[in-house]
Amino acid sequence: MESSDAALVSRVLHGEVNAYGALVSRYRDRYARYAVHMLGNREDAEEALQDAFTRAYRSLPRCEDPERFGAWLFRILVNRCRTSGARRVRRGQTFVHDDGALMKASEEHPAEQTMWREEIERAVGELSPDQREAFLLKYVEDLGYDEMAEITGVGVSALKMRVMRACDRLRTLLREVHSG
Amino acid sequence: MAEWGRTTLEMVVQELQQPVRLDASFERRVMVRVRRLYAQRRRRGFGTWLGVASRVTHHPGWAAALAAGIVAIVTAGVLRTRPPVSPSASSVFEPVQFVLVAPAAQSVAVVGDFNDWGLNDSALVATNHQGVWSVTAPVPAGVHRYAFVVNGKEWVADPSAPRSAGDDFGLPSSALIVEDSTK
Repeated sequence: MESSDAALVSRVLHGEVNAYGALVSRYRDRYARYAVHMLGNREDAEEALQDAFTRAYRSLPRCEDPERFGAWLFRILVNRCRTSGARRVRRGQTFVHDDGALMKASEEHPAEQTMWREEIERAVGELSPDQREAFLLKYVEDLGYDEMAEITGVGVSALKMRVMRACDRLRTLLREVHSG
Repeated sequence: MAEWGRTTLEMVVQELQQPVRLDASFERRVMVRVRRLYAQRRRRGFGTWLGVASRVTHHPGWAAALAAGIVAIVTAGVLRTRPPVSPSASSVFEPVQFVLVAPAAQSVAVVGDFNDWGLNDSALVATNHQGVWSVTAPVPAGVHRYAFVVNGKEWVADPSAPRSAGDDFGLPSSALIVEDSTK
């Protein structure tokens, strides 16, 4: 039977460092998706996710509700993505596509679908970081506004506004692609 | 393309919800970092170092007599203060005394980034002297974050120290600068 998050956290806290591997395995793919879409490429996403796991390990005794380790880790990841995104803006780096994912998609899907995916990723990359974060949390991670507020520290009404603006912007960007 | 609406939004979301799979080496890379942290903490071996007071804290509402005594210690610490050290922690350890006045507490411990926030029983356990809890420990020179844990569960920031910025974890913590006495 699969151990609960709380049981694994407890084992790590009692010195069984390898139990942390089970938590990494449990959450890595689930949260990689958010990081890839948020940061726009796999390399930065993996780095942010590694940082999040490492910081979570260092701060494990501060996880107040080990049963919700995943939610706590996600909050750390969201913060790491913000930091990583800000750093990239300072470096003047532009968004690039996840070439590995696109290559894989081109093998599995018809060309039209690959193009559609590419357009979506480009449009999401065009959103401001705040709007992208809110949109991904709401629609892709399927979180409620209260959870989003808890994770981001932003008020519910501001989040609703960001999501609405993100939808408007995506609508415009994707229409431009198809009308141009 | 179909008219933008609910359906198109669903198509966008459907694409973005496609799973992203990381290769197996990811877990290995994380665990290399984690094991390194674990080994560092074990090597560090936070034992008891008796030494100079460089940080003394208290809860509001102290008895006046106690407060007067503590102010004197704080002043001693300030007189030893040098210009701030660089933000990164170094390999030079300096003794730091943590003090918290909490007469009603059953236990007080100190956790911070210098002891992996008490991971694997590494919290510094303070000793009670009539409601004044204190512990002295070696802390690497550099800038740190720390907090008191009262009764094993209540996280308390140092009321007399600046709150640390950029706390990702939703719990209070304070900033600590430890100077390198060899410089």
